[in-house]
Amino acid sequence: MAVEMSMPILVVDDYKTMIRIIRNLLTQIGFENIDEASDGTEAFEKMKKQKYGLVISDWNMEPMTGYELLQRVRADDSTKSVPFIMVTAESKTENVIAAKKAGVNNYIVKPFNAGTLKAKMAAVLGDF
Amino acid sequence: MPAAEVAARVRESLANLKTKDLKDGQVMEVLSLAQQLTDTMQLFFGSLDQSIHKEFVYIADYIARTRTEISKLRPNDIKEQRIPTAGAELEAVVTDTERATETIMHEAETLLGAQPGDLAEYKNEVDEAMMRIIEACSFQDLSGQRVSKVVESLRHVEKRVSRFAATMGVHDADADEDEIAEAERKKKLHLNGPAIGGPEVKQDAIDEMIASDLDQNAIDALFD
Repeated sequence: MAVEMSMPILVVDDYKTMIRIIRNLLTQIGFENIDEASDGTEAFEKMKKQKYGLVISDWNMEPMTGYELLQRVRADDSTKSVPFIMVTAESKTENVIAAKKAGVNNYIVKPFNAGTLKAKMAAVLGDF
Repeated sequence: MPAAEVAARVRESLANLKTKDLKDGQVMEVLSLAQQLTDTMQLFFGSLDQSIHKEFVYIADYIARTRTEISKLRPNDIKEQRIPTAGAELEAVVTDTERATETIMHEAETLLGAQPGDLAEYKNEVDEAMMRIIEACSFQDLSGQRVSKVVESLRHVEKRVSRFAATMGVHDADADEDEIAEAERKKKLHLNGPAIGGPEVKQDAIDEMIASDLDQNAIDALFD
């Protein structure tokens, strides 16, 4: 099934610059419907109100981390099927395993480039 | 009143009693026993006085040495100069970095959104934007110098604290409850932060882990 380029994507990060970078990369890839949240709490509230086609989240945020957001998303019937990509500087094996165990769809370690983001999105959503 | 003085007074009283014309033999016996007891007590309290005196001298020396070492630690210099200056330098690094990032992002976004009509004019726009990006990168020199100052301050504090701890024979106390709770929270949420020198597990290895069907027992074993 072809990826709908107008699908809403939620970018979650506590650093505005990183949100801006991801937003620019997504725009260059062709996605225009991009929303943002500054931590897991705000992201989950938005996810309860709107259905997103993809969540791209940082791990290390306060008060709710990306890892907690992932667990919460997967535990809630209305959000559990939303594709979730973790984009983070957390690069220990335990982090990757914990994310996989919690149901992450893909995992990108920072710093990353547009090619990596596009490849992981394609792996999760299908080619676009 | 010192123990020796008390003993002297008791002995004097006993001597006075003995000089009086006491006929009762038992009273004399009691007085004799009291005399022996007083002599014994004088020896005991005398040694006790010396021991306490030595203890107080030791404590006074220790306090004097501690005061000297604390003064060498220069806590007021650390509190009022070193730490605030280091904090201000780091804040300046954040501000400079943000300003440079904003400039670079703005120029890049402007060029990405440009609708070039005239090629020569567009080239001129690109050249000017590139120059502004290059100028913005000068923050790196300033940030490097600021960070070096912070590192120097930290080393200075580390040196003083280490010397103080070694001289005073200080051992680390247990962390307080808040610190323990925060450490446990970080462990539970796997909040490790960026690794020094790049990612600990490279993207290729992460891709393999994500793609593989890890056995639940193998996953659980990593968390034991």
